[in-house]
Amino acid sequence: MSIETPAPSAGPFAHERVSISRTMGLVMLALLPATLFSLWQFGWPAIYLFLVTVATVLVAEAACLRIAGKPIRPFLFDGSAVLTGWLLAMTLPPWAPWWTGVVGGFIAIVIAKHVFGGIGQNLFNPAMVGRVALLIAFPLELTRFVNPAPLFAAGSPDWQQGLAITFGGQFPDAFSGATLLGHVRTELGQGHLLSDILPNLYSPVADSVGTLAGSLGEGSALLILLGGLLLLYKRVITWQIPLAMLGTLALAATLMHLIDPAHYTGPLYHLVSGASLLGAFFIATDLVTSPVTARGQILFGAGCGLLVYVIRTWTGYPEGVAFAVLLMNACTPLIDHYVRPRVYGRDRQGEPLEYADEAEISR
Amino acid sequence: MTTALKTPKGIQWGRITRDGLWSNNVILSQTLALCPTLAVTGTATNGLGMGLATTAVLIVSNILVSLIRNVVTPEVRIPVYIVVIATLVTLVDLGLNAYAHELHKVLGLFIALIVVNCAILGRAESFASKNGVGAAALDGLMMGLGFTIVLMVLGGVREIIGSGTLFSGAALLLGQAMSFLELTLIPDYRGFLLAILPPGGFVALGFLLAGKRLIDRRAMRK
Amino acid sequence: MNATTWSEFRQGIGYQGLLLGVTVTMAATLLVVADRVTREPIAQRHAEDMNASLAQVIPPALHDNDLLANTVTLNDANGTPVQIYRALAGDRVTAVAFQVTGKGYAGDIDVILGLAADGKVLGARVLAHKETPGLGDKIEVAKGDWILAFDGRSLGDPPPARWAVKKDGGDFDQFSGATITPRAVVRALKGGLEFFATNRAVLTASPGNRQN
Repeated sequence: MSIETPAPSAGPFAHERVSISRTMGLVMLALLPATLFSLWQFGWPAIYLFLVTVATVLVAEAACLRIAGKPIRPFLFDGSAVLTGWLLAMTLPPWAPWWTGVVGGFIAIVIAKHVFGGIGQNLFNPAMVGRVALLIAFPLELTRFVNPAPLFAAGSPDWQQGLAITFGGQFPDAFSGATLLGHVRTELGQGHLLSDILPNLYSPVADSVGTLAGSLGEGSALLILLGGLLLLYKRVITWQIPLAMLGTLALAATLMHLIDPAHYTGPLYHLVSGASLLGAFFIATDLVTSPVTARGQILFGAGCGLLVYVIRTWTGYPEGVAFAVLLMNACTPLIDHYVRPRVYGRDRQGEPLEYADEAEISR
Repeated sequence: MTTALKTPKGIQWGRITRDGLWSNNVILSQTLALCPTLAVTGTATNGLGMGLATTAVLIVSNILVSLIRNVVTPEVRIPVYIVVIATLVTLVDLGLNAYAHELHKVLGLFIALIVVNCAILGRAESFASKNGVGAAALDGLMMGLGFTIVLMVLGGVREIIGSGTLFSGAALLLGQAMSFLELTLIPDYRGFLLAILPPGGFVALGFLLAGKRLIDRRAMRK
Repeated sequence: MNATTWSEFRQGIGYQGLLLGVTVTMAATLLVVADRVTREPIAQRHAEDMNASLAQVIPPALHDNDLLANTVTLNDANGTPVQIYRALAGDRVTAVAFQVTGKGYAGDIDVILGLAADGKVLGARVLAHKETPGLGDKIEVAKGDWILAFDGRSLGDPPPARWAVKKDGGDFDQFSGATITPRAVVRALKGGLEFFATNRAVLTASPGNRQN
């Protein structure tokens, strides 16, 4: 099922130096600061989980390519598989056991990517499919977060204790901590008011810098934002999806916060907490699973933002970026069907453009 | 008007059997009746129960439809078949509830689902209404068995992956004598919830369908 | 009737109508007969089911009556009617049982609660729920003995403020990874106990003395 493009023999073809590897490389570069910071924050177990996930993804990719009879080396090392594993690892609780990374990696690559036909053919974002499948299958392991315990800091697990946590299934309860989103949901559920809950643990600064419990990618909002801006600057992504997603999320949060400040958190809280920024810049913008037109992308991003808010506020889950992105992925073909790019020389309805009267021209 | 297919040498036992069990299998080839298929195959036992209940209804409905096939005109055949099937299912439901209550507790959910099983109307329409009673009964049996086997395999796969057991609850369905079927294949298994939940059903069914295509293609090549 | 007229008749609207009419009449007749025949046995089976679940929360030694025969219906705090099964020893009410419902993670959790006349919990059993298998389903007695922790408790033991899961500052365990389910059950049971306390006079009055 490969798409063959005849070699250009003539015509105004310009070649831009864009390849899958370059795009993927830039995305990874943009992710690197936030990843390193979070790995430092959560120490050895997080590093092991990260490595296991990425290694699994590479093995799964190679196996699938082999079965499908495709060339292994070029596809394996184009970076797309590594990025899938990377993003998946970013959304897991840092101290989750190793087999969550393995199972999630296999589901992401085999079921979400290669069953649909490999790179460029998948309907859903593979990393998010892997994460959601894990969340549904192992609700316990996937909701067990820890407070940061930086590498080499006193009391943090050393590399041997890290091995025991990731591979030995020993989870030290002393470190366990709830994510901000999860904690606020629990407290609200018990009838507490926001004014009693937030001051104790929430400071926008700590939340933005990333010194709170959470998954790797929920760590440092600032560094994620920085990476996102780099992608925008390098034109790997366009502004439509992130802006529409974050804007809608902020708008919904502001609106509800104004109506009832005691029960609904404000926009800043929603923007810097959880995976909002990671989702907006790195996940929703996935080229394969988002609409092609600018207007379609705005619609897509707005849908993601609204769904994130709805899921966080009114459903059983405290965080909903993965669900929101997957649901909007499912809408992408529909959006692309209705919001089509204008064909050159035709108007939006597909009718040929009317030019100035020919008589006028000839005169 | 299409007349009944003339079967030159009586009932074509082999063809009907092969159609029902494999080449025209309700799920694997016709991809009909996916709603009950995905809804109840959390365990092999549930798959078996649903399959058997469907088979029973399928045989009787095929016989009845075949019996009245020369009386019913094409214009009103669909409502007539629907009434026949729905009545039949309701009778089975009432009977089981009254006289086999323990079985009904296990199968009750499935029986109501049989009414919406399009495979039954499908067989009435495409086979029973054009064939004699004997052939129709055999077709009902074979289609039902093919359905049962796939449901059982699907349920078994999901059960093993999902909870590490096989045929759990079989004694409830088949009586104490069959309790030896209940196996715990993976002791101390922590469970893979996804396989038992609906998404797991879709994924497992997808792999089954692909597997059948693969086997068919291999067979063709030979 | 020759072949032509028969086939013409078959094409006519009259035949179609007649055919549908006959089919539906026959189906309806069959269903009416079957319903008549099976109604009694089915009601009996359901009564047996109900008795079996009641027997789990009211020990048979406590009563000599048919639990299903002496029911009362009262409205709870929200105005929803609750059917109460009363266990009688002679003329005295020894225990009551009724169904309480909690809002679980995935839907309603129906629990049957048996209380002694002094307000102590005789037993509680989950009748139906839609909680996550392997996580929230430990409320079933078949999957764990969590629900047995309520036996012998009453509204004063622990005090009302501690009728909650440990995460909410109460006395009852939650499950690791699932708080919503046990919280819903504890709340439902507490509601049931409060309902009993409010209506205690009516519920434990000897049926012989009751006016209605």
